[in-house]
Amino acid sequence: MSTILVIAEHRRNELRPVSLELIAAAYGLKKSVDDKVLVAVIGSQAESFVPALSVAGVDEVIVVQTPIADFDPDIFESAVSALITAKNPAVVLLPHSVDALGYAATLASKAGYGYATDVFIAEYQGDELVATRGGYNQKVNVEVDFPGKSTVVLTLRTSVFKVLEGAANPSVSSFDLPVVQSRSQNKEFIEPGGANDVDITAVDFIVSIGRGIGEETNVEQFRELAETAGATLCCSRPIADAGWLPKSRQVGQSGKVVGSCKLYVALGISGSIQHMAGMKHVPTIIAVNTDPGASIFTIAKYGIVADIFEMEEELKNQLAA
Amino acid sequence: MNVLNMKRGKACRKPFDMGMPAKATDLVRLAIKAGDPYCAAAVHNIATGRDKRRLEALMFDKRRNTLLLARWEHTPASVLEAIANSSAGNGDSGVVIRLDKNPNATAKALSQLYVGQADVRQLNSDFTVLIAQHLHSPVSVLASIVQLSEDEQSLKAVSRNPAASAEVLSVMLERMANSKIIGVLYKNLAENPSTSTELLDFIYAKGDEYVRAAVIGHARCSQAVIDESVSDKDVKIMRKLAVNARVSSETLVNLAASHDVAVRCGVASNVASPEVLVMRLLLDDSCLVRRAIAARLDLTAASINALANDKDSWVRQWLARNPRIPRKVLERLSVDFEVDVRRAVARNTCCPVGLLKALAKDQSAWVRSAVAYQHKSPKVVMEALATDNNIDVLSGVANNPHTPQMILQDLAASPELDIRRGVILNKYATRKTLLPLLEDPYYLHRLMLVGSVRLKGKDKWSLRDDPDFQVRFMVFRWMASRLCESAVR
Ligand SMILES: Cc1cc2nc3c(=O)[nH]c(=O)nc-3n(C[C@H](O)[C@H](O)[C@H](O)COP(=O)(O)OP(=O)(O)OC[C@H]3O[C@@H](n4cnc5c(N)ncnc54)[C@H](O)[C@@H]3O)c2cc1C
Repeated sequence: MSTILVIAEHRRNELRPVSLELIAAAYGLKKSVDDKVLVAVIGSQAESFVPALSVAGVDEVIVVQTPIADFDPDIFESAVSALITAKNPAVVLLPHSVDALGYAATLASKAGYGYATDVFIAEYQGDELVATRGGYNQKVNVEVDFPGKSTVVLTLRTSVFKVLEGAANPSVSSFDLPVVQSRSQNKEFIEPGGANDVDITAVDFIVSIGRGIGEETNVEQFRELAETAGATLCCSRPIADAGWLPKSRQVGQSGKVVGSCKLYVALGISGSIQHMAGMKHVPTIIAVNTDPGASIFTIAKYGIVADIFEMEEELKNQLAA
Repeated sequence: MNVLNMKRGKACRKPFDMGMPAKATDLVRLAIKAGDPYCAAAVHNIATGRDKRRLEALMFDKRRNTLLLARWEHTPASVLEAIANSSAGNGDSGVVIRLDKNPNATAKALSQLYVGQADVRQLNSDFTVLIAQHLHSPVSVLASIVQLSEDEQSLKAVSRNPAASAEVLSVMLERMANSKIIGVLYKNLAENPSTSTELLDFIYAKGDEYVRAAVIGHARCSQAVIDESVSDKDVKIMRKLAVNARVSSETLVNLAASHDVAVRCGVASNVASPEVLVMRLLLDDSCLVRRAIAARLDLTAASINALANDKDSWVRQWLARNPRIPRKVLERLSVDFEVDVRRAVARNTCCPVGLLKALAKDQSAWVRSAVAYQHKSPKVVMEALATDNNIDVLSGVANNPHTPQMILQDLAASPELDIRRGVILNKYATRKTLLPLLEDPYYLHRLMLVGSVRLKGKDKWSLRDDPDFQVRFMVFRWMASRLCESAVR
């Protein structure tokens, strides 16, 4: 029997959806029915997340009460380290998030655990755990194995593992936090995004405009279209640089990676490497461009060689009908 | 943190003596000495004879470099032609495909690839499709595809390609008259700007309602076809007629009574619609129709007043953007409860300075940012907005021609790269303001500075051994064109 330990993530009293993705990944790693998926939740309000974590695939929820509400790398590192010692898991799953990156590497390195980050496939090949991650700027997939490691820590890419459906009734236990001296102090929480804008990394449907829209006055009609269709309007860099949309709406290498997006409609965007860095992972990409040779078509699931204005007009008509 | 304390990284190699070259040959020799394929690519078109061959050896000796250059968006046309010359003979399909997908490939390079293949009928279909759709493909090449190719995808690609002449398209239609793809060809031709009026007339008579609608939307559609289509009751055709400025007032009046919202929207935005008709449509139940009216540039005072009170915020937004709106109405819209309406006022090209001053204090950063980007905003407004802490506002201040240099100099040292880029994009930023940005840690910024008209030659040349290959390429390319210009003078 082996154990898979998931560390749930929460922020500002809300469970982050990635926690459920980790549970799905953990469930997928079970080699037999005897294997157990334990989910630890660490925080001052940890108890309050138990119902949300009582989902299919979970055998036990472990509550680790801490004195402070916000994430703290020292506290998390020592809590997870103590949990590993106590539960002896074969695999520890963390989100590939800014929080986890604050302590996962030190945790693994201090104890000599196997370690891989930004993993998007985790599976057993025979008895060997193999983690797949990108390499060379996502140009190749690298399979990592961990010979001789009895515990492996993986940070998993978000929006990759499909959440399991259904609730469950796992056992709930508590775990005492070891005494730890925190070296950091939380001063203020600043919501990313600026201009009170939506967080484009968290939305699932995006209509994105590029230089193909021509003039600033044309932005309005695409904003209107996005609003009618229930999508979030984003853009390529030239549009944000011109101040036509907020910087927080820029997708790409120097903008944002739209991690949770499921449907991305690229209108008048050529598909530069830098733009695609922010969206090429999206499962359904629809591209509209007058140039059949535009690079965006190489990653689009549906490519439409057409004028975006005609397309916009037609969509508007369809939505109005 | 002053970001400019962070240096741009190490030079790509030990700098060798590279004073500013005085002649094109000196620059070419420097590129050869640098041993860098990107610098070589930058000066290729000014090199001759033995030097040119040495540059080509530098660029093409390794297949990897050839592949990179064949695909790279900045590779100069002369280099792409040189690659086409060499690899078409070598038959390296990896290089050929990259070259063919490169939008910068010239007609010469493409025909080079094409004539390099023995027989069009033997060509790999993927390759022919790429040629058939390329905007720079020569008409002669497209003509031979149309005459000889049996590949349906390639023929469809030609039918969409605006580079195909009216004759080529007409030959295709004749040849494919009985083929099973004729329906698709009709549709593509109806949308291809190169299709002639005669061909459109023919297609209109043959095509289904989608094709007929596309023909009516075509700029070269004949008046006879428009007149004939007026009695058509198909909604797709009515929608195209509704936006067509060549349709008579009488037809527009009829179309305005349509049950289809899109048809009425079309009439509402059509410049040929008579004023009384527009006034009537102001009362339309659908906000989409009223939005279409709000964007018109020929609104009367009565329509403007009605629209300014519309309950749909998009109607008010479109109105607020409209440069023909009187000041009084703009004032009213500038205090609208919807952020986007206020922003639209601030972005209106005719927004008076007094209103901009007021909007600069708006509680929404998105409105203040609109004021910051507005070229009419005066210096005092820029000074006030420079104390803002929102990135969109500060990027706008950095971009604005009225921002004082002292402020731009502060913004050039901002830790936010978007704000620093705003300064670089500002055409009025002086050399003194820009100089520290030559050390910017973000390579894109150094890249952009090579194109600055404010910096001196020696400033740009200081980037010649930049750690980033794109910056080095740009510096060598800029120097090449400068030397050529001075040689001509
Ligand atoms: C270091 C660095 C970082 C960068 N970071 C980013 C980033 O984060 N995000 C980003 O987006 N870019 C980024 N860029 C810029 C990037 O290289 C491209 O310049 C940019 O993505 C191009 O934007 P675009 O596709 O909107 O414009 P373009 O490349 O100009 O493409 C416009 C497209 O619109 C099409 N088009 C035109 N008219 C119509 C029409 N009527 N209907 C349909 N199609 C039409 C054209 O065929 C064309 O394909 C970065 C660049 C560098 C060097």
